Amino acid sequence: MAAVISASQLSKYFGDVKAVDEVSLDVEEGSLFGLLGPNGSGKTTMIRVLTGQVKPTAGRASVLGIDVVAHPVKVRENIGIIPEQETPPSFLTAEEYLAFVGKVRKIAGVKEKADWWFEFLEFSEKRDVLCKDLSRGTRQKLMFAQAFLHHPPLALIDEPLINFDPVMQKTVKEYLKEYVRDGGTIFISTHILEIAEEICSDVAIIHHGRLVHTGPVTAILSRQRHLADFFLDAVGKGSHA
Amino acid sequence: MRDLFFAMMKEEWRLHATIFGNLSFALFPVLIGIITFMGSLALPFLCEIIPGPALSFTVHAQFVLLGVMVGGFGLLGQEVMNRRFGQASLLAYSSRNLPLSDRRIFTVFVVKDTVYYFVLWVLPFISGIVLAAPWSGITFSTIGTVSLTLTLSFLTGLAVVFFLSTMYTRSILLLAGIVAAGVLLATLLLLTGTVDPAYLFPPYALSRAFTPVLLLYSLAAIAVPFAIAILFMTTEFPGSEKHFPDRFTPLASRLSRLRSGPTVAKDLLDLRRSGGLVGQPIFSFGLPLALIWVTLVVLARVLPDTPLLINFAGVVGVIGATIYTWVTEFDAIAGYTFLPLGTADLIRSKLVTFLLLQPLTLVAVLAGAVASGDYGSLLPAAALALSISVYAASVMVWLTGLWPAVMVYDVRVLAASMLLIGPVVLGLIGAASINTLYAFGSAGLLFPAYLFIRGSYRRWEGWEKAFT
Ligand SMILES: Nc1ncnc2c1ncn2[C@@H]1O[C@H](COP(=O)(O)OP(=O)(O)OP(=O)(O)O)[C@@H](O)[C@H]1O
Ligand SMILES: [Mg+2]
Repeated sequence: MAAVISASQLSKYFGDVKAVDEVSLDVEEGSLFGLLGPNGSGKTTMIRVLTGQVKPTAGRASVLGIDVVAHPVKVRENIGIIPEQETPPSFLTAEEYLAFVGKVRKIAGVKEKADWWFEFLEFSEKRDVLCKDLSRGTRQKLMFAQAFLHHPPLALIDEPLINFDPVMQKTVKEYLKEYVRDGGTIFISTHILEIAEEICSDVAIIHHGRLVHTGPVTAILSRQRHLADFFLDAVGKGSHA
Repeated sequence: MRDLFFAMMKEEWRLHATIFGNLSFALFPVLIGIITFMGSLALPFLCEIIPGPALSFTVHAQFVLLGVMVGGFGLLGQEVMNRRFGQASLLAYSSRNLPLSDRRIFTVFVVKDTVYYFVLWVLPFISGIVLAAPWSGITFSTIGTVSLTLTLSFLTGLAVVFFLSTMYTRSILLLAGIVAAGVLLATLLLLTGTVDPAYLFPPYALSRAFTPVLLLYSLAAIAVPFAIAILFMTTEFPGSEKHFPDRFTPLASRLSRLRSGPTVAKDLLDLRRSGGLVGQPIFSFGLPLALIWVTLVVLARVLPDTPLLINFAGVVGVIGATIYTWVTEFDAIAGYTFLPLGTADLIRSKLVTFLLLQPLTLVAVLAGAVASGDYGSLLPAAALALSISVYAASVMVWLTGLWPAVMVYDVRVLAASMLLIGPVVLGLIGAASINTLYAFGSAGLLFPAYLFIRGSYRRWEGWEKAFT
């Protein structure tokens, strides 16, 4: 299987802070890849570099075979992204916002697609409310919808579940699993380890910007009862550390 | 309160200083001071051309103008609370979780901004005059008076616009009513000849004759509108959850021939629904231009040879270019970076929105033509204003990308924009005073404008500081 994301020796420094530090990593097509790590470990920065939103300080990366430094806009054309900061404080309504994304991405039949998402994530009654007046969870739904509106082969999503209630979390987890079964690839960052354990096929653990582990979830679970135990060990907070 | 004030000051400083460095920002007031220092040196020569009172009026009016330009706090409150969360002035928003009322936080915010602009603009200006005193022949007692009256002028402009913009956020009819009543009262007083026109502009009256009564009057003219504005100011814009029909899709289809149609449509709706499409033209455009018009009329009386409408058109062009800041200032770039749009796409779309708003420039020139009765110069004046506006905006885009409101405070940017815009505007006005038809030559500015814009796409594509 081909790697849809490939990073080698990727680094991003903000002054003295090594947010991402010489990370090499491959994500196979059809995987649900979880990027785990404590607060401030570099997950968001990693996603922003991989999606061409910031330039790496050193190293290379390609997404769907496209170089992220040379063609950042082309990368974003072909993938879906949910940014960490879930809010565009906009005066467009939810419906208008999806129409806007549809126009920017040149999606045909965006109205029907948007309708499907309003229905699926159960926020049809908020479709004509301004984005800035939506609740956090509803805004997160909207951001989820915009990322998958064009049904991209790959989506990089940053903590997409954090504002959802348990019912919605279940709906979305099922969606992601099915998405991958249908041949899509998901790169998800999270620190909710139960979610990662439940849905991810592979995980990478990042700590202080450095990759401390990468591999299939099954391999971890064959050694430890829970991903959480392994994670705590990996970041040096476990009982064995 | 005091802690909040200093925290806000620090935040404001950091916002600018992290973007272009402490030194570059600290030098900003120094540059202003140097400019007025040189201006003061030229004063003896200026006084031979322009009589003292007219000159004094002009300078005072410019300080009111400065106050007017920064005083739209009512609008700002609305925009900050609605659009800027996560952005620049974080404290004004995030301090909502502090045990302080919104009104107090906002009051601190307004006071902070006032002090900040005072230190950045007014103080260096006055220092420039003071330092030039040994050569300009201005006596120190005059300087003392003038420092006070200029400061009061600044505060008057600021207080009046703070007051008016706060009324506007309550209701545009209220604003219209207050303005109409004010104009009516002023006209009546002037027509019946009961008062000297100078009393309508207290700090100026004070600068002519320094009396305790006039001083009190000037202070009241600041304190009263300021207090009312604070009382009426609101950051809550409640009402029931509003529902809107889809206006985006039809607007975007109308703009579908433009490459940046979708982003332009979003910009226009954002501006309209945030109140910016009415508020900005009134407070950032109409009001300053009205003030400039009055100043030019006063100057034209003493300088009969200058074609009033042409002079005005030059200024309209410069102010027209600042429309670019309306469309960039409150739009968080983070709302776009996850979409397949590059900085160049955003700049292009902001420029299109800017151009779509340019009819305002023409309206201003038309208003000038009506007021002066000089319809003969209307077309050349319109061409002049429009060309200067587009050219000056292109310089701004080249120098500041999507961040004009922040980047002006970089001395290098300020100096470069003055050098690139000032001589061009003065030269064109000069040429047009010889023969109005020469104003059409300003269309030649569109070529360098094109080059600046082209260059800016590449120049700003990879600029990351603003994303962080
Ligand atoms: N724009 C920036 N400027 C300076 N430092 C930054 C910037 N963005 C991130 N950092 C720093 O880089 C490090 C990694 O941050 P990042 O946001 O990637 O972490 P994260 O793993 O996503 O954390 P969280 O789980 O809290 O979302 C942190 O130390 C952060 O302070
Ligand atoms: Mg993060």
